[in-house]
Amino acid sequence: MKKLYAVLALGVAGLSLLATTTRPVANQYGMVVGTPAIKSINALTFGPDGILFIGDGKNAAVFAVDTKDANSVEKASPVEVKNIDEKIAALLGTDVKNITIQDIAVNPKSKNVYCAVQSSDGTPVLLKVEGDKLTPVSLKEVPFSTVTLANAPAEDAKGSRGESLRIASISDMGFSDGKVMVTGLSNQEFGSTFRSIPFPFTNTQDQASLEIYHAAHAKYETMSPIRTFTTTEIKGKKYLLASYTCTPLVLFPLDELKAGKHVKGRTVAEMGSGNSPLDMVILKKGNESFLLMANSNRPVFKVKYKSLEDYQGALTTPVTESFATAGVDFVSLPVTNVIQLDKLDDSRMVLLQRRSNGSLDLWTSSERYL
Amino acid sequence: MNGISKNYKLLRIRLCTLYSLVFFTASLLVTCRSGDKTGLVICWNDNRATGLVIPERYVVSIAPNSLSRLLSVRRQGVETAIAGQFQRSDEGMLFEPLVPFTRGLVYELWLRNKRLSEIEIPALADSDRPFLKGIYPSADTLPENLLKVYLQFSRPMREGQSLRYVTLLKNGTDTLSGTFLDLQPELWDADRTMLTLWLDPGRIKRNLHPNQQLGAPLQAGTTYRLVVSGEWPDAQGATLGKTLSKTFVTDARDGVSPDPMQWSMNHPPPGTSQPLVITFPEPLDYSLLLETFRIRREDSTLVSGTWRTSFDEEKIVFSSAKPWLAGNYTLRIESRLEDLAGNNLNRPFDRDITQNKSDTTFQVYKEKRFQIR
Repeated sequence: MKKLYAVLALGVAGLSLLATTTRPVANQYGMVVGTPAIKSINALTFGPDGILFIGDGKNAAVFAVDTKDANSVEKASPVEVKNIDEKIAALLGTDVKNITIQDIAVNPKSKNVYCAVQSSDGTPVLLKVEGDKLTPVSLKEVPFSTVTLANAPAEDAKGSRGESLRIASISDMGFSDGKVMVTGLSNQEFGSTFRSIPFPFTNTQDQASLEIYHAAHAKYETMSPIRTFTTTEIKGKKYLLASYTCTPLVLFPLDELKAGKHVKGRTVAEMGSGNSPLDMVILKKGNESFLLMANSNRPVFKVKYKSLEDYQGALTTPVTESFATAGVDFVSLPVTNVIQLDKLDDSRMVLLQRRSNGSLDLWTSSERYL
Repeated sequence: MNGISKNYKLLRIRLCTLYSLVFFTASLLVTCRSGDKTGLVICWNDNRATGLVIPERYVVSIAPNSLSRLLSVRRQGVETAIAGQFQRSDEGMLFEPLVPFTRGLVYELWLRNKRLSEIEIPALADSDRPFLKGIYPSADTLPENLLKVYLQFSRPMREGQSLRYVTLLKNGTDTLSGTFLDLQPELWDADRTMLTLWLDPGRIKRNLHPNQQLGAPLQAGTTYRLVVSGEWPDAQGATLGKTLSKTFVTDARDGVSPDPMQWSMNHPPPGTSQPLVITFPEPLDYSLLLETFRIRREDSTLVSGTWRTSFDEEKIVFSSAKPWLAGNYTLRIESRLEDLAGNNLNRPFDRDITQNKSDTTFQVYKEKRFQIR
């Protein structure tokens, strides 16, 4: 009988040990170790302490992954990878035509550059760029958490019609003041959704509808999808600075972007139609700040931040001349065909550019561009 | 004690059965087939070459802990080692690349600086091609302010390429440019078989800059041909092969919201499983039609069944899972349902926002009551 008790006691002790060793332990951000089932990587952005947010349109979700790449680096080394597409293709054992670079993001803490790639069969890959070297980042058995992007309210969620035909895409993503901000588009309604999701993820997420003034239209408009955005501070107040498909630049006060709220933006510039903004960052040289914006059919624009601050008006009159611009002034940098850009440090950015000789290069700008 | 031992045996038997089942299921999903006399074996998963088994004879002389450092798989003629994972398996060393091997390419196995072997991933058979299952809207007369086109393919396609392979011809001669909105990422469904294309809304909305400069994408009374190139590759690199097109004629601008009060419906007799057919005066959006309708009984219970579009999206057909019961029913339609020009039940697509009328009439859904008797 004593033996039986001993076996039972051992069993209980073993089980409790098993329970403590296998039970996922959440870290300070509520993340547990596992393998996130990421189907696509549309957008990347970094949060605190090397936490990488991965926007997955196919899952209509955002994943937060702890990259453990959190060593603080004060002075970033410039990255320079010539023919990056060829290097990625070689690393993945395929042809250049079979890969697409979806996004790049700089870890603000370690200053390492991360790059999301999609292979033609749809497999998403995350790479880290160190100097001119590319290394795959494993997404297996990593601390992660996830949040599903809430769809437009459906009358009832349970239907008997199988899979939904609704398709979501994530156009841009950012992190500011403890919140992941996501803009996206669905195939069913033409309209921009802007979501603000507190991190660590909880069950809440705010979805605001944003209204902009189309100077050309001479009307207010809620339907346009945001292509790219950043957050900024003007005279002590935080703003979302968003750019739309026909390139108006619009400011929304961040504290007003709350659930179900309808927020009117202030259009501060019309940067010319026939073009789509691709990415934007804010850089600093001395005491002066600049907004830099990559475009589909224009060179990189540079806007003096002071003119954004000083421009207290809102564009409310139509721009009549074709492809003309209005509002705050900007200059075109002699840098064209920039597909992606992100901020490396206060005064430099990392650019992915299709050079005039056809090569796709990742390189680091210098203060000279400011 | 005997009891514990018996239970333990039973548990082992159950676990063994479970493991066998898991192994059997896994072996159904992933199969490894020998390529040729090189002895390298390609593992296939869902028709994709996801691994390479390297026979023991190649790796027998290497210390297990230095295998992944010394051994590499490369593309023929390329020095870079392919990113992936080596692991021991019953058949030898298994290499799983980060992305599946590309069909038609040759891969080499290297040990340090010595090439050991090579293998070609067989290209797909010429007849093994995807096809275009459908183009929506199905009708051949469409409003000049048509907003969306859906392309349904038979299997996953390559993303980010649509504007290269979809063209619109006007009157059979002029190729139109800038008709579709250049969206990156494109709007593909999760299995990459359905693509949504937007005709540039900035050109459709009157007075917007793109509309003023470039005009509306389509004009009334014109014949258009939507051409989907046979060169479009699928996720595995096989092309459609055949160029397909859909010819349509445009009629007047549609700036009016669909009105459920103008829809007609049949009344299936009680006790039968006859389908309920709702007929609209115009075709409605294919994707939204299949998602926005619900039928409830008087006590609010949902009537289960299936919905399908019919008659070029001018009808929707509901087949109830059970025979109809006599009684009062409510057809509930989500107001986000749109017609072909993007006008939904609440507001037209191109509304005069300065009037600001729409906000007061906003409803999440609209209802239509009917009786089965």
